[in-house]
Amino acid sequence: MLATWLQALVSGLAIGGVYALIALSFSITFTTTKTLNFSQGEFIGVGAFLGVAVLYLLSGQDEGAALAPGASAGFNYPLAAIAVGAAVGVIGILLFITAVRPFAGKPGMSWVMSTIGFGIILQSIGLAIWGPAPVNLPSPFGDDVIRIAGAGVRPQEILVLVVAIVLMIGLDLLLRRTRMGKAMRAVANNPSVAALMGINVSAVMIGAFALSSALAGIGGLLVAPIASASIFMGLGIALKAFSGAIVGGLDNPRGCIFGGFALGLLEASVALWQAQWREIVIFLLIILVLAIRPQGLFGARTLDKV
Amino acid sequence: MRHVLAACIIAALAAGLVAVTANEFYLRILFSACVYLLCALGMNVLLGYAGQKSLGQAGLFGAGAYSVALLTTSLDMNPWLALVLAVAISAVFGVLIAAPSLRVRGPALAMVTLAFGIVVEKVVTEASDVFGGAMGIYAIKPLTIGGVPLSMAQWVWLGIALCLGIHLLLRNLLTGRFGRAFLSLQADEIAAGAVGVPVLRFKVLAFVIAAATCGLAGALVAQQNQYINSDFITFNLSIFILLVVLFGGSGSLVGPLLGAVTLTLLSAVLARWSWIERFANGALLLFALYAMPKGLAGVLSGVFGKIAGPKAAAEIRPPADVPLPTRPAIVVDGPLLQADDVCKSYGGVRPAHNIGARLMPGDIHALIGPNGAGKSTLINMLSGVVRADAGRIAFLGADLKHATMHAICHRGIARTFQNLRLFRELSVLDNVLLGQHARMSNGFLSSLFGLPRARREEARARQRAGAILDFLGLSHLAEAPAGSLAYGLQRRVELARALATEPRLLLLDEPAAGLNPQETAELGDLLLRVRAQGITILLVEHHMDLVMRISDHVIVLDYGEKISEGTPALVQSDPRVMAAYLGTDVEEMAPASSHAVAGLA
Repeated sequence: MLATWLQALVSGLAIGGVYALIALSFSITFTTTKTLNFSQGEFIGVGAFLGVAVLYLLSGQDEGAALAPGASAGFNYPLAAIAVGAAVGVIGILLFITAVRPFAGKPGMSWVMSTIGFGIILQSIGLAIWGPAPVNLPSPFGDDVIRIAGAGVRPQEILVLVVAIVLMIGLDLLLRRTRMGKAMRAVANNPSVAALMGINVSAVMIGAFALSSALAGIGGLLVAPIASASIFMGLGIALKAFSGAIVGGLDNPRGCIFGGFALGLLEASVALWQAQWREIVIFLLIILVLAIRPQGLFGARTLDKV
Repeated sequence: MRHVLAACIIAALAAGLVAVTANEFYLRILFSACVYLLCALGMNVLLGYAGQKSLGQAGLFGAGAYSVALLTTSLDMNPWLALVLAVAISAVFGVLIAAPSLRVRGPALAMVTLAFGIVVEKVVTEASDVFGGAMGIYAIKPLTIGGVPLSMAQWVWLGIALCLGIHLLLRNLLTGRFGRAFLSLQADEIAAGAVGVPVLRFKVLAFVIAAATCGLAGALVAQQNQYINSDFITFNLSIFILLVVLFGGSGSLVGPLLGAVTLTLLSAVLARWSWIERFANGALLLFALYAMPKGLAGVLSGVFGKIAGPKAAAEIRPPADVPLPTRPAIVVDGPLLQADDVCKSYGGVRPAHNIGARLMPGDIHALIGPNGAGKSTLINMLSGVVRADAGRIAFLGADLKHATMHAICHRGIARTFQNLRLFRELSVLDNVLLGQHARMSNGFLSSLFGLPRARREEARARQRAGAILDFLGLSHLAEAPAGSLAYGLQRRVELARALATEPRLLLLDEPAAGLNPQETAELGDLLLRVRAQGITILLVEHHMDLVMRISDHVIVLDYGEKISEGTPALVQSDPRVMAAYLGTDVEEMAPASSHAVAGLA
C-alpha cells in the first residue's frame, strides 16, 4: 500500500514538474503581454518530435528503424534539449509576430483564436512530416525501473523532476534578480511606462514568447520518454498545465509552479483510484475552482476602474 | 421584408438543388452544411453578438447527439419527441457552461469552456457502459414520416427548413432589443448594466441559444447516421464551429451561411488529404482574423455595399424644444434619495467615510471636492457599480444597498461615466435605444417570433429615442458610430443614453471634463432644461463657474468625508471648503477639517 502511494507520489511529482514548467511558460507570456499561447500543446508535441529527429541525427541512425535504447545516452539528450529549446523558441517568435502582435491589447481577444490557428498549422505540418503514429523516445538513463522502498520508479521520472526544478529555480532567479527580469516585470506592470523608461518593450515581449515556447519544447522532450511521443500528446498536457496556472494565478509565477505540481499530484492520486477518470475529475475541479475564485488561488484580484 | 424574401429564395434554391440531385455524396455535403450552419447560427449569437468565446461547443453537440441516442434506444422514445427533448437537454447544458462565465473572464473563460468540451469528450469515451465509448451507440431511431424513415433528400430538406426557420427567428431577436443588449455585453459590461441590461441573464441566454442550436445539430447527425460514437465529439469540432462563424463574419446575419457553405465545401474537397485540410483550417483561422476581421460578410458588404456619403457635419445643431420622454410624475415627500453613514474602503484608502446626503426632487445637486475626495466612489455606490461597506442608501424609500446596477437603473437612476463608456462601435441611435432597454416590455418570446407587441415596443422606443436626440440637438448624427464623434459630442451622446432610461435621478460624473468654455456654458443651459423636465440631477464637477451657476445645492467632500453642504453661496464662503481647495493656514480652521488641510499642505 505504502509502495503504491510512494509510486504515485513520484510519478505525480514528475508529471507535476512538467505541468509546472508549462504553467510557468504560460505565466511568462501572460505577465508580459497579457496574452498566451493557446496552442502550447502543439509546441510540446513538436518539441518531442524535433527531439527525436535530433537524436536520430546525433546517433547516426537511419530514419527507418526505431531509436536504439542508447540513442539518448551521454551528451545526446542534453544536446537535443538545447537544439529543441532553440528551434521551438524560434517558432515561438514566429508565433508572436504572426498571431499575437497584431491582436495583443485589442479588445475581443482575437489572439485566442489566432494562436489556436497557428497551432493547427504547426500540427498539420508535423503530421505531414512525421505522421500520426506515436514514436518511442528512449530515456538517457535507460528504462529499467529503480526500486525505492518497494515502489518502482523510472529514472526518467527523477530526471524530469530534477530538470524541471532546476529550470524553474533558474527562471525564478532570472525574473527576480537580473536586469532582464526587472525589465520583464516592468513590461508586465505597464508596457507604456516601461517604454518611457527606455525598455525595449517589443524585444522583451519577443523574448518572453521565445522563452515560453522553448520551455514547452523542452517539456515535450522531457515527457516523451514517459509517455510515447505523439503529435497529439500535447493538448492534454497543456490543458492541465493551463489549469495549474489558472489555479495558481496566471499572474503569479510561483503560484503557477505550485498549481502545476498540485495538479500532477492530484492526477496521480485520482489515477490510483480510477485511471480513466483522472482528466474528467481534474477539469471538473478546475471549473469549480474558477467558479468560486475566478482569479485563482494565488492570483491578484483586479479592480475595474470606473 | 426584403431580407425574409431573400432568405426564403436561397432556401428554395437549395431545396430545388436537392430535388434534382440524385448523388448521395452531394446530398451528404449539403446535409453537413446545414448541420454546421445550425451550430454557427447559435454560435454567432454567443460570439458575434454577446462577444463570449466558447471553445467547447463540441460538448454541447455531444449533449444533443447522445441525448437523442439514449432516449431513442434505452427509453425507446418517439424520435421526434426525442429530438425536441435533446434540444432542451442541450440548453440545460448551456446554462451549466454559462455558470462559470458569470464570474470568470478573459483567457480563464476560454479555458473553462475548453475544459467543458474535453470533459464531455472524455465522459463519452470512458463511460462506455452508458455511452458505448469508441464503439458507440447503434440503432438510434431516425426521424420518420408515417413510420417511414426520412430519405437522404428529405433529411436535407429538413435541415434547410430548420436553418431557415432558426435564421429568421434569430433575426427577429437580433435586430431589436435583444440584439442590442447582446452587443452591449460585448462592448462594455459595466455600461450595459448601467443602462439597465441584466448582464448575467443575457450572458446565460446567449450561451443557451448557442447550446440549443448545437444540440439540435448533434441530435440530427445522430439520428441521420443512426449511430454516434466518441469520435464525433472532438476539440477540432469546437474549433471548426468557431471558424465557421469567424470566417463567415461574426456579428453579421449572413455570416454563418457564408461560412458554413464555403468551409463545408472546402472540407469536402480537401478531405482526401487530412493534413492539408487541417492546415487550411488553421491558416484560415489565423489569416481570416488578420485580413478580414469581419469575415466573408464584411468583405462582401465592402464590395457591394454603398459608398459612404459625405460625412455629416459634426457639430451640435440647435436643440429642439421638445419634451423628453419621462416616467409618470410622482409626488415625493422629503428627499428623492437619502444616503446615511455610507462607508467604503479599499485596503488603507478610505474614499467614503460616514457620508450622508439628501437629494431633493427637482433640484440640481453638485458634488465637489479636490481630487481623491471620493466623489466618483459615491456616484459608483449610488449606481451600484461598487457596493458600500456600510450605511444605507434609500431611493424613493427602497434600500439600494444590495440592488444590482440594472435594477437601480430600472428604479429610475441613470448615470454617465467620468471616462466615457459609450458603446463605441454602435451608432448613436443604438446607444440611445440601449438606454431605452429597461423601458421596453417585449420579452424573449415576443421578440423571437416578431409579435406585434415587440414591433410596437420597438417603434415606441425609436420614437422616444428620436425625441431625446432632438432635445439634445444630435438627431443629424443618429447613424454615426458613437466612437467616431468628437469628444464633446460623445459626452453628449452619453447624456442622451442616460436620459433614454427615463430617469428620475441623473448622476453625471464630470460631464464638462474636456469641454471648452463655450461647450461648458451650453452644457449648463442643457442641464437646466433637463431639470425643467422634472429630472433631479447630481453632478460631480470641477468647473466651479458651472457648478455655482446651475446648482441649487452643493455637497463638498474631502478625503472621503463631507465637509460642507448648502447653497452655492453658503458653500463658497465656508472656510473649511476654502481650506480644502486652497490650503489656508491650519490654525484658523475649525478642528473638524484640520487633517484634511494637513494632508494638502
